[in-house]
Amino acid sequence: MSDLLVDADALREQIRDKYREVAVDPHRAFHFHTGRPLAARLGYEHDAVQALPDRAVESFAGVGNPFSLRRLQSGERIVDVGSGAGFDSFIAAGQVTDSGRVVGIDMTPEMLKKSRATADDLGYTCVEFREGLAESLPVEDGWADAVISNGVINLCADKKAVFTEIHRVLKPGGWLQFADIANGRPVPPEALRDIDLWTG
Amino acid sequence: MLEDTGFTDVQIGPAVDTFGGANGEEKARAYEVYGYAFLARKH
Repeated sequence: MSDLLVDADALREQIRDKYREVAVDPHRAFHFHTGRPLAARLGYEHDAVQALPDRAVESFAGVGNPFSLRRLQSGERIVDVGSGAGFDSFIAAGQVTDSGRVVGIDMTPEMLKKSRATADDLGYTCVEFREGLAESLPVEDGWADAVISNGVINLCADKKAVFTEIHRVLKPGGWLQFADIANGRPVPPEALRDIDLWTG
Repeated sequence: MLEDTGFTDVQIGPAVDTFGGANGEEKARAYEVYGYAFLARKH
């Protein structure tokens, strides 16, 4: 019997619906900030954000800055778990340069369509986007120098499975650098079982 | 949980007021929810 607080598949469907809206209608009001104002709020380098087209930034819905504790190095291979419309993947591409590789992974078709179109427009050959889940990343064992993620792991019912999977795709000594939310006060058990509260 | 899954050298950055001014601010305040950057290394 599963010891997860919510049904993982049901939660995944609600998350997909929510982020489908963020992809196709990014300027409506959500329970979180989005786009360039959010990137500024989270301390992203202004010039790196400014260089990106609106389509790469407008659906950004992260919760922190995964590059704030460590800058990626030229030539590194990166996996972006829950890449959305590609904002963090494109920031990563700027840091690893053409000698590196960035693989963004997302489960929402509308986000993948958007990120792939932006990569094509930018002519970024070092970035690709794959459909997949955080719990089963379509990446070979030990491929990545670093795994990044932003506001995604908190939305996964089985966090241990996600961290185990990230560990699998990293090289020995590789880096996990992610941003996510944490609560300072305990959330009541009944609220933790309410999927609507997971998605805002 | 990070250490349980084989990560070491865990660092946590300062809290960021991710939801301030957004529609979710009230709920975030109720449970003191903030954004953080995390860094860890595969052992």
